[in-house]
Amino acid sequence: MAIEIFHLPDAGEGLTEAEIVRWLVEPGDSVLVNQMVVEIETAKAIVELPIPWAGVVCAIHEDIGSVVPVGAQIISIEVGAQPQREPVLVGYGVKEDALVTRRPRRESTQRVQPVLAGVTAKPIVRKLAKDNAIDLSTVVGTGRNGEVTREDVNAAIGGDASAPRGSQDQLGERIPVRGVQRMMAEAMVASAFTAPHVTEWVDVDMSRTLEVVERMRVANSGRITPFVVVAAALIRAAQKYPRINSSWVDTTEGADVVIHPHVNLGFAADTPAGLLVPVVRNASAANFLALSTGITEQMEKARSGAATPTDLTGGTITLTNIGVFGVDGGTPIIAPGQASILAMGRIMNRPWVVNDAIVIRPIMQLTLSFDHRIIDGALGSRALASVATYLADPALEELVLKN
Amino acid sequence: MQLLTPEGELASHETYSLTLTDAEYKLLYREMVFVRRLDQEATALQRQGQLGLWASSLGQEAAQVGSAFALEKNDFAFPTYRDHGVAWMRGVDPMKIMQVYRGVSNGGWDPFEHRCNTYTIVIGNQVLNGVGYAMGLTLDQSEDAVITYFGDGATAQGDVHEGFVFASTFDAPVVFFCQNNQWAISQPSEKFVKSPIYKRADGFGFPGVLVDGNDILAVIAVTRAALERARSGAGPTLIEAFTYRMAAHTTSDDPTRYRHENDLQNWKLKDPIERLKVMLARNGIADRSFFDAVGAEADTWGETLRASVRSMPEPPPESIFDHVYTEKHAVLDGQRAAFIDYHEGFADSGVH
Amino acid sequence: MTTELTMAKALNLALRTAMEADNKVILFGEDIGKLGGVFRVTDGLHKDFGEHRVIDSPLAESGIVGTAIGLAMRGYRPVLEIQFDGFVFPGFDQIISQLAKVHRRTHGSVKLPITIRIPYGGGIGAVEHHSESPEAFFAHIPGLRVLTPSDPQSAYSCLLSAIRSDDPVIFFEPKRRYWDKGVVDQTQAIAAPWQARILRAGSDVSVVAYGPMVKTALQAADASEYSLEIIDLQSLSPIDDKSIAESVARTGRLVIVHEAPGTLGLGAEIAARIGKSCFYNLVAPIERVTGYDIPYPPSKLEEYYLPDHDRILFAVDSVMEA
Repeated sequence: MAIEIFHLPDAGEGLTEAEIVRWLVEPGDSVLVNQMVVEIETAKAIVELPIPWAGVVCAIHEDIGSVVPVGAQIISIEVGAQPQREPVLVGYGVKEDALVTRRPRRESTQRVQPVLAGVTAKPIVRKLAKDNAIDLSTVVGTGRNGEVTREDVNAAIGGDASAPRGSQDQLGERIPVRGVQRMMAEAMVASAFTAPHVTEWVDVDMSRTLEVVERMRVANSGRITPFVVVAAALIRAAQKYPRINSSWVDTTEGADVVIHPHVNLGFAADTPAGLLVPVVRNASAANFLALSTGITEQMEKARSGAATPTDLTGGTITLTNIGVFGVDGGTPIIAPGQASILAMGRIMNRPWVVNDAIVIRPIMQLTLSFDHRIIDGALGSRALASVATYLADPALEELVLKN
Repeated sequence: MQLLTPEGELASHETYSLTLTDAEYKLLYREMVFVRRLDQEATALQRQGQLGLWASSLGQEAAQVGSAFALEKNDFAFPTYRDHGVAWMRGVDPMKIMQVYRGVSNGGWDPFEHRCNTYTIVIGNQVLNGVGYAMGLTLDQSEDAVITYFGDGATAQGDVHEGFVFASTFDAPVVFFCQNNQWAISQPSEKFVKSPIYKRADGFGFPGVLVDGNDILAVIAVTRAALERARSGAGPTLIEAFTYRMAAHTTSDDPTRYRHENDLQNWKLKDPIERLKVMLARNGIADRSFFDAVGAEADTWGETLRASVRSMPEPPPESIFDHVYTEKHAVLDGQRAAFIDYHEGFADSGVH
Repeated sequence: MTTELTMAKALNLALRTAMEADNKVILFGEDIGKLGGVFRVTDGLHKDFGEHRVIDSPLAESGIVGTAIGLAMRGYRPVLEIQFDGFVFPGFDQIISQLAKVHRRTHGSVKLPITIRIPYGGGIGAVEHHSESPEAFFAHIPGLRVLTPSDPQSAYSCLLSAIRSDDPVIFFEPKRRYWDKGVVDQTQAIAAPWQARILRAGSDVSVVAYGPMVKTALQAADASEYSLEIIDLQSLSPIDDKSIAESVARTGRLVIVHEAPGTLGLGAEIAARIGKSCFYNLVAPIERVTGYDIPYPPSKLEEYYLPDHDRILFAVDSVMEA
């Protein structure tokens, strides 16, 4: 035996409710297929409803006089041995409103518009460019499919969209910021105003680093520079403190910190085209010599203009040598999408206290800027200290690491 | 015109006569019983939410079954949404009719397979379409004829009058079959039909005939004669079959608001099925065992119909883009592709 | 005086109010008398105003519109009921060829203050010809005004304005909303029915809807993670560009929603106008969420045709991601 529940159907076009006027049966009554069981009054008519099953009335769910929504259970019938299962009867009519929530989608669907030839830019960006006498065809678009964005145009204007351009003859030399320089400017603005920067620094005695460099030169087992040793130190620190080699990713649910499996080391290179940041991919897997070779190759490519976009993108952490310009420290800006940047200053003999005595030692300042959303002060400090410790005795550290 | 009185007595007429075999008489009875059962089942299914709507043919079985019985196989019928007896007689699968009222299809059957157009809902439209088909028959020198159905309400529509004019102009082989069921939804036909409908034919230059629409024998005789006239090239005929809409206009109508119960009771006495039944019994053509057998057969059939309607599959959503054009249409093809992508993009969308 | 009413009752109240105020207002249409119309919008008016003011017409739409023009020339103010959207077409000829053009043809000497009420749109599980949205045909015709309410209050206000207008007004009633209840304030001055209403303020995307889709748009706003500004157009001719443009100037994004097929629908017109007036405010292409370019499907499939809140939100994502 089974129970079939009869739901109030829509007895007219689009009615939503009906009043129970009269029951024609009561619990315990036997009913036949299509027997009228109830009289209802809708907004349009009084009608009798037939029951679709034969059986015995086991329950009446609504009292006379009650106003019942379409789809509500009104009567139950205990049917014979072979009940026919049927779809739920909600009738035809206005169908909605139970619960209006968004039905989740599988993924954020890419709605990439077909890109037509020519410059792509939104009207509002074109207006901005026009008002500032920027020829859009000279601007490299950084948006989706090369679209020129408002930021691109702002960068082309000079970073201050609100400042009207004065007439040419009132100004001194005007140097158009284009191409690589503009991209760099764009990137720096994006990073500086997105990631909260914290910068810390520490001095380190480079005596033993220089010893290692010298010994390798003498051993003629390959040529390395202090820069390579600092790079190695940074890579080791990234392996020990993976968060300095990570990215902040905003998502629809909030944000994620994505830890990168490898260190792709970017390093700043002063080239004829301006400052470039070539990348040595998977630098964490390389030994000193391989790292050295990788850095040299990428540097050459950047300087000769042979660097491809692949060579200049994909970095996960950056090292910059400002010491070559004769300075000690600064507040480097993190490359967009990365978590930290290390700057090395010049190496200069300075008074240094060793065993309570002042001695002369080659001292270098290390500066680490990090994204405070990802890296707290303690972690950033430890990471910087670990670089310094490494440089204080690279051979020992390598020995320790290898064991 | 009447050949069978409400009391089930055979009558004679000076112009029309009809002789059928016993088997044919019994067949007509059976067909009317099934058409009525179809109507009852559908009405019940609508009340149970299994159909969105139903336009009842209750009481009009003789007019529909009789006129369609008179058709030859290759004649073509243009029915309205209420002419279930016509569709039935033309061999249309009742499940295809159910599809229309269940909201699964707007037509459902192939008009050429059954020589029966799909139901027309906009009042009177089909009259001109039927006339046009008949004009084509003339051009093709065909022996076939057309019957086009409409109600008393439709006789107010311009399309119906234009149909009369065109049929008359071109001597189209068409029979205009008007079921005057006396109600255009809530409007009694006496209000807007001041002189009988069949008399309008005079003004258009072709004959009009009034027939008792609940007398299936008279309906057959009159329709056969009109079809013969059409085949002979003499042109159209207007038949007014006087009957009664015993149910509501549709299941969402409430006739208690506009007509008296007495009226309905009077017409129950003129029931087309009962009067044929009496005639069959009185003349010894059929006996109780025959009527019981037909009833039992209809019961079984009704059960199957109910089950089939309840388990009727729903068409695939993307079928909404089918048959809009005969050939590929770039804009619509794009919309169909986007539609499928959109629906497959939901996290809970099933395998497609 | 405020009352909670269904839209059907609000329309009924507006008809009653108009008939009480002006005895030249007459109702004319199929089954509107004793039956009260197939949606019962004229319920009780036949009884209270008599058969000379609530007139059951023969079943002929061209006849209804054509004779109403003559009645209007005799000084009457006919309010016509066309039973369903799909049945207006037999009357299309009279509407286009005469109703829309007489005033201009007579250099202004003849006014045709005729309102044609048409229940329209889908979502009620109906058979063919009972779910269509033919408003664009009429909004395309110079000489006609076109109104469509979205809730009981706008139904009341808009219908009174339509009847009071000396121009012919095609008045589309969203039939799936007939039974929706809402508060109707009769004392409220007719709230500028020829203007769009901002039903909900928002900052991210302007969503323009009308008639049955207004409620759907409000549901989308409830379910959205973004701030949607919901604009109820009300008047489809003339279109209130100004209200839409002011909104888009704030949000920079526009989504237009209607049930009718997209090609050459109201959305196309609105998009063209806003594309011009807000060219430099837009930060995303204008999106339309509409019915597909197909005959209205059988009712079992209508939910796939009708825009719902998910489809609106999909378009919102699109303009937010652009």
